[in-house]
Amino acid sequence: MKKKILSSLLCATVAATTIIGCGQSAQETSESTTNATAEVSATEATSEEAKTEETTSSDSGEKVTLSIYTQYADDDTKVPYDYAVEQLKEAFPNVELNLIVQAQDDGQTLKTLAATGQLPDIYQASTDIINTFRESNQIMVLNDVAQSTGFLDKLYEANKDLAYAEDGNIYAFPFSGQEYVLWYYNKALFEENGLEIPQTYDDLKNCIEVFKSKGITPLALFGQEGWNTAAAYDVVATRYTEGGIKALDEGTASITDEAYASAAKTLEELVAAGLFQDSATTTNYDQASEMFLSGNAAMFINGQWYIEDATSALGENVDWMFYPAADEASYEAGKSVFSGGGSASGFAVNPDSENAELAAEVAEFITEKYCEAKVMYRHNPLVALDTGKEPDSEYPAMMKKLSDTLPTITATTKFTWGLTNSTFNDGIQSESQGLVSGQFTAEEFIADMTDIME
Amino acid sequence: METKKGILHKIFIVFCWIYAAFSLYPLIWMLFYSFKTNQEIFVTNPFGFPWPLHYENYITAWTKYDVPLYFLNSLLVSIGTVVITIFCALLFSYATSRMIWRGRTFTRLFLGLGMFIPVQAIMIPVVKVVQKFNLMGTRWSLIFPYIAINLAFACMVYYGFFKGIPLELEEAACMDGANIYQTFFRIIEPLVRPATVTLVIYIFLNAWNEFILANVVVGSIPGLKTLPLGVLFFQGEFTTDWGGMGATMVIASFPAIIVYSIFSEQVESAMTIGGAVKG
Amino acid sequence: MWPPDLLKRNNTMKKYMGNKLAIFLFVLPALAIFLIFDFFPIIQVFAYSFTDWNGLTTPNFLGLKNYIDLFNDRVFYTSNRNQLIFAIVITVYQMLFATIFAITISDKKMKGRKFLRVAYFIPVILSVTVVCQLWSAILSGQGLLNKLFEAFGSDYTQNWLGDRYKAIYVIAFVNAWQWMGYQFALIVAGIKSIPADYYEAAKIDGCSNVKAHMKITIPLLAETYKFCLIISLTGGIKAFTEMNILTGGGPNKSTFTLTYMMYNAAFKKSDYGYGLASASIMVIECMLVMLVINFIFREKNQLKEEEKSKKRRLSYGN
Repeated sequence: MKKKILSSLLCATVAATTIIGCGQSAQETSESTTNATAEVSATEATSEEAKTEETTSSDSGEKVTLSIYTQYADDDTKVPYDYAVEQLKEAFPNVELNLIVQAQDDGQTLKTLAATGQLPDIYQASTDIINTFRESNQIMVLNDVAQSTGFLDKLYEANKDLAYAEDGNIYAFPFSGQEYVLWYYNKALFEENGLEIPQTYDDLKNCIEVFKSKGITPLALFGQEGWNTAAAYDVVATRYTEGGIKALDEGTASITDEAYASAAKTLEELVAAGLFQDSATTTNYDQASEMFLSGNAAMFINGQWYIEDATSALGENVDWMFYPAADEASYEAGKSVFSGGGSASGFAVNPDSENAELAAEVAEFITEKYCEAKVMYRHNPLVALDTGKEPDSEYPAMMKKLSDTLPTITATTKFTWGLTNSTFNDGIQSESQGLVSGQFTAEEFIADMTDIME
Repeated sequence: METKKGILHKIFIVFCWIYAAFSLYPLIWMLFYSFKTNQEIFVTNPFGFPWPLHYENYITAWTKYDVPLYFLNSLLVSIGTVVITIFCALLFSYATSRMIWRGRTFTRLFLGLGMFIPVQAIMIPVVKVVQKFNLMGTRWSLIFPYIAINLAFACMVYYGFFKGIPLELEEAACMDGANIYQTFFRIIEPLVRPATVTLVIYIFLNAWNEFILANVVVGSIPGLKTLPLGVLFFQGEFTTDWGGMGATMVIASFPAIIVYSIFSEQVESAMTIGGAVKG
Repeated sequence: MWPPDLLKRNNTMKKYMGNKLAIFLFVLPALAIFLIFDFFPIIQVFAYSFTDWNGLTTPNFLGLKNYIDLFNDRVFYTSNRNQLIFAIVITVYQMLFATIFAITISDKKMKGRKFLRVAYFIPVILSVTVVCQLWSAILSGQGLLNKLFEAFGSDYTQNWLGDRYKAIYVIAFVNAWQWMGYQFALIVAGIKSIPADYYEAAKIDGCSNVKAHMKITIPLLAETYKFCLIISLTGGIKAFTEMNILTGGGPNKSTFTLTYMMYNAAFKKSDYGYGLASASIMVIECMLVMLVINFIFREKNQLKEEEKSKKRRLSYGN
């Protein structure tokens, strides 16, 4: 019995090596195809090849393989990556990328890779990652590269602060520019029910009542994700004080300030009125998004990157509104304050990489190409760099409206991934979720947040 | 009285079958799910038959990553884990349950520690150990940690089974002049086959479905990735292609189910042989 | 475990079963792997729990600070309460259903028993991700369960996974449902190893089927039940994935467990040391549970053994 298992194991191993061999040659032939998916597997195959080459003959060392840890799942991440890889072939013909797809695991994988010295050459780093890796010198200072590659010249003036960390160094090349939390609504649903766009919370409560009586969810929240509940709190908080959660994160305001207490109270009331679906805290992004796109929910809170998806599903029927406020005066005043903002997230380089200098240049190149692809194919002009590219079709109406509003925006806050205080970040995500669930009171929220901040 | 009992029995039988249907439902649901789009899954048709069939989910899954290669890696890692774990656990449990030496209870409980530690907690130290032994870049980098994860559990199950075997068996073997190794491999080991079979299935599935360690250890090595890592190609920062993930999960689960269905016949016969020897 | 009278009777047996070389060879492979890949990392977990390590930098010794903070953390108590609930729910559910189904399946007269046996095991084969996706679809606000209640005109629709206090029971149920099949398989294997003549003897004595099982199966499977109990309880204490997928620990951390706390602290807050402190507490809790179970079962085992040897002597006498 044992022998049988062992021998079959051996057989399988032999089969394994032959199959891997076959796979490689098959993929080599498909290398020339520009098909996006074939691209990845081809890259993977050739990267393996390159590795063996490196070890066997170092004198022929023309090809360099750089590993890159980044997202590669939906159109918003695949399109830029594929575009960047294609462009890279011309600009850096000797460089191959070995793609490691990023896991949605709060940085668990990346941190473990760093702790065990296996950090990829290039990786997508969030603010939290940058701050953590900075302490252990596992993230390269890119000041010189940013200068020599012309990155700093291309960086939009408004995004200058995004590139620099607290200590004044550049650790990552950001590709996203300033981003905004938009309050989307389904125009058709509002019109059918004879409703105006709510300006005050009383208007909003009226809308909630009407929608609920029709069996429509007023606002679909994806509250399983802490950032969305934090954003829900922030869009209310910014109506009372323009600092929002950013001021709390930086410690320039306190959760016990009246503005934040009022915001919590308001959100509590809106939740009690039924603004969100009952199971908001266990709803994921796709569930909530589908509710909105299929007309089962009238409103939705998400970043401006959602414009493309919303427009392609709902066309003329979707728009965004300024966040409602306590009264008309603060509604008008609040038009210049948006929740959201930029973050220092971007492509970072492992300083211990064998080809660190080259990796830094490639990281910068990829960042530029990401920006180009986002403008051209994703119709999102809110990127970090001035690419000089035009979109392949007209910008959606919502994006135009946002562009027109941009000059009037005087203050933004932050997305949770841009927050620098990780204790506050964890606290605001879970506490706002409690508030949104309707099972924690505004008083509990304030008291718990006070505890956490101590 | 008799009829009342009969009715109760019938109700009970019906309940058994309903529960079985309830256990089989996920299979059908998963199959349906893998042919749907996000919109169908969440809004329009979460539970019904998928129509039209979005079989392109399978095409996406198949083209996004090298399914046969991942499959093979999963298979090799799982088989390696199962064989070594079973071998080590059998020997260890026999020594701690039936052989006579000081400190055997302590040794057994000591090894039991392994059951209690979550993978997330020991991940960094484990990966460092794997590196120290120069196992990175080989399938052993997954096999050894997997053995360590399953060992304590396997030992505990075997311990229970060894304890249940009549003591006279060794006595008889000893009198017949067999040495301890012969006694163990020829007489005792066949008696715990039912346990071995259940453990083989359990450990195989554990190794087959493991994600967290696999992602850290072989996530950056294209040639060594295992099937569970395939789902990464569908999970974006915000949106997830659930239908594609469903297809990936079907591709990953159905081989296990087929193997089990075939194997379960084997289970049955292995168990009856074990019983017959003992009776 | 070897009854003293048997050993006295046969001194060569003691030598035979005390073969030092064999013991060494048998224990070595498992112990070596355990020491290297389990014990050594566990030691580090305990050591780092006294530091401010974030996983990357050189750690600074903090003394008991992490533990003191832990005992002052509201979430620590929620986590412990949840673990207890989780462990109790899955233990009761799994052992009850596993026993009932195992006995039913072992009855040779039962029709379709082979099919049922495979069916009950199916959830075990599926990955936790699949099972959790299914249940989150069933239990969500617009899910199957609520729709069924609506269809029957019942008012019992619930926010199953979003409730601060009840969600943990629902998650425990999902876990119990999935892993019941494994305990079922273990008990079936156990029943198979019980000689059939025991039951025949019981039948001759006029015992009903149920009574025969109560008298024979359950006591003889004490060892099997012991590890089923350990699996359930420690499984409850270690639970993580279900929470992660079904509720994300929410709302507001009310479905956290110590493993979740560890994960949250280590990876969301980059406070590995604090996370490892909660992991250490968890390991200690698990060890205590195992020792208590061993203690309870040991008493019974000894009693049983004594009875057995009494019977044996009687039968020898005859």
